[in-house]
Amino acid sequence: MSAAGATRTTGVASFRARLFTAIMIIVATLTALGFYLAQRRVIADAERNLQQTFQTELSSMHKIEELRHAALADRCNTLVAKPRIHAAIEDNAIDLLYPTAKDELRDLMQGEEPPPEQAAQSLHARFYRFLDDTGAVISPPNPADVGELDPATEAQLSLKKLPDTQQIGYIQSGGAIHEVIAMPIFSTDTGELVSALVIGFKPLEFENKSTGMQSGVWVDGHLDLPALAQSAQRLLNEKITPALTDSGSQQNYFRVEVAGAPQLLFHKRLNPGSLFPPAYEIFLYPLASWTAQLSRLRWQIGAAGALLLLGGFVATHFVARSMSAPVTKLALDSEENRAERERAEAALASTAEELERSTRYSADASHQLKSPMTVLRIGLESLLGREGFKPQVYEELSTLLHQTRRLTGVIDDLLLLSRMDAGHLQIASTPVNLSQLVDEWLDDLGALPESPDVKIEKEFPHGLFVAGEKRYTSLIVQNLLENARKYNRAGGRIRVSARANGKDVVLSIGNTGRTIPPGENIFERFHHSSSPSAASGHGIGLNLARELTRLHGGELRLVRSENDWTEFEVRFSAANGVDAIT
Amino acid sequence: MRRQGLLWLNAALSVIPASLFGGAAVEGRVDLPKSHSAPVQAKRYEIVTKAGVLSTLPPLAIVYLDGNFPRPASLPTKEVAQKDLTFVPALLPIEVGTKVQFPNLDDQYHNIFSYSPAKRFDLGRYRPEERPIPSVTFDNPGLVTLRCDIHEHMRGLILVLNTPYFVMTDTAGRFRLDKLPAGHYTLKAWIDSRTTREKSIELKNGQTLHVDLP
Repeated sequence: MSAAGATRTTGVASFRARLFTAIMIIVATLTALGFYLAQRRVIADAERNLQQTFQTELSSMHKIEELRHAALADRCNTLVAKPRIHAAIEDNAIDLLYPTAKDELRDLMQGEEPPPEQAAQSLHARFYRFLDDTGAVISPPNPADVGELDPATEAQLSLKKLPDTQQIGYIQSGGAIHEVIAMPIFSTDTGELVSALVIGFKPLEFENKSTGMQSGVWVDGHLDLPALAQSAQRLLNEKITPALTDSGSQQNYFRVEVAGAPQLLFHKRLNPGSLFPPAYEIFLYPLASWTAQLSRLRWQIGAAGALLLLGGFVATHFVARSMSAPVTKLALDSEENRAERERAEAALASTAEELERSTRYSADASHQLKSPMTVLRIGLESLLGREGFKPQVYEELSTLLHQTRRLTGVIDDLLLLSRMDAGHLQIASTPVNLSQLVDEWLDDLGALPESPDVKIEKEFPHGLFVAGEKRYTSLIVQNLLENARKYNRAGGRIRVSARANGKDVVLSIGNTGRTIPPGENIFERFHHSSSPSAASGHGIGLNLARELTRLHGGELRLVRSENDWTEFEVRFSAANGVDAIT
Repeated sequence: MRRQGLLWLNAALSVIPASLFGGAAVEGRVDLPKSHSAPVQAKRYEIVTKAGVLSTLPPLAIVYLDGNFPRPASLPTKEVAQKDLTFVPALLPIEVGTKVQFPNLDDQYHNIFSYSPAKRFDLGRYRPEERPIPSVTFDNPGLVTLRCDIHEHMRGLILVLNTPYFVMTDTAGRFRLDKLPAGHYTLKAWIDSRTTREKSIELKNGQTLHVDLP
């Protein structure tokens, strides 16, 4: 029992552990998911904030650039509107173009209000060139006047065709990048595109002091970011170029390592739709403070997650306990049930075994007894048939023979019972004339030697047929009638009645005499009356009669036993059709 | 009054064979480009540019006899005035070596210049009272585009020709050249800065040749 208890305790504990683990897994998964989502959200927010900061700074910078471009465009428009420039282009006086432009520019600058210092710097053109009607550069007669350029750089100024709108381009020359603006020149007479003026400048450099953002220009595989060392620029260029030449890429920022420090790199096309090669403005945003902030946020979220997990752990413990309580009880109950069942099964097995043994025993005993009894009976009968004994001897022999016959009857009964118990008894059902059977037995009863003086009352019709085997039906009737006689008193009476009741035939046998105390199971095998009596049986008759009745599909019961009257009732199945004939 | 009389006489004589007066004559019609603008008063026309081509509006042509003619000792001075911010006349044919004066008849500055290969000059800014009247002598044949540095829209043309025999058609394209020397020549018609038509002709004294330049 203690081993089973230990097993049970172990089982419940393991169930609780599993429950706890399952809940913990769910809690941990949810926490991890929450943590992941929160972190992603935080990072997305941070990146968006950074993007916004960047956009703000970018737009302020672009405003400056736009102002410059507008001022430049204004100036260029004034220049290209000059009649002399037009005359030089339209009247086939290209040789006069650059000298005229030089004069005009000088006049233009002299006539202007002195611009603010910054604007003056940024507006200071490094060079300018005119394009002919095919878009090719018109070579200046005296390059020193218009800003000297090496042929490769000058070639970059050429366009496939004359632009009809202002074009912004970036060209690379000797490690430096020039910003160029191409202004279309339209004929004042016809409005037709006749030429273009390309002016080169030093690009605006922008460094935000508060954020440390640095800017540069990437054009056609070359990066110019003056804030960085040459080697760092080269390394960065190797990283940028694939991203920028991949036109499918929509993301306008990515992370880079510059001189060992993480930076966020933004890029923006400087000259969308321009006839000049694509150029990008490159911004480097140092991530040092941002990453620190991010890692602090991560820690905060992580701590919150850990706390949550801890809370979940504790809660899970209690939940698992409360959830496993009914299971513990169930386990206990089922253990008790199991023990009880085992006990019952063991009892049942031993009972069955006993029953089997007793059945086998009575069968064996009966068989063993029957043969000597026959020898004994035959011996007694032959002795009784001899002559020459004293009369007392004959009397003794006669008594012995009677007792021997009685014993044989008991043995037969036992054999029958044991066969019934073993389920070997088969009924060959035929119509049996119950009326006749009862009459015969009543006649025999009167002939019995030690029959007391009893009065017999009969009340049944002739020819009452029942379904059954005559032998066993007779035995039932015999048993009941013998009992009625045996347990009667002197001067008593026996009343036998029978009647058909629907499909049944009911036989009632009543007798005067001692009554059966209530609660006494007279149908039990080997039953012996609790009250002492002169007449006593071997305790098989009633049991056998009831078993046989039941075997015939009927019933035997005690109807009443009081006031000097005991009455049994047997219900037989009526024989089909036979009673109708009779 | 006298001028009118001369014109009449000229008209009367024109029906008489030119040979009676010595020299040959040629007359005819130049097929002028269609003008989309409404007809304007005679003598009033302007220079327009279309696809880089300068021409007059309404269209006019200058018909001249191309050849190698002896240069006269002196030539009369011609005049292109600036009046109401236009050149008057807008198109002036002259013989090589002619001196052209550019009087300013407006009450503001003008700055006449030309970048044309035939003649590059720049008269600078000057007021109407500028004396002597700024002038330029044109020594090379060709078309000279006149511009004003102050007034972008102003355009004038001077067609410098190698011949003394030239005439401007009327708006219908009719022309007549008189007192021409006999001989084999090319008759040319300047239509615009890019178009000049020509035809070989044989001139005989006393004959009036009818030539159409389609």
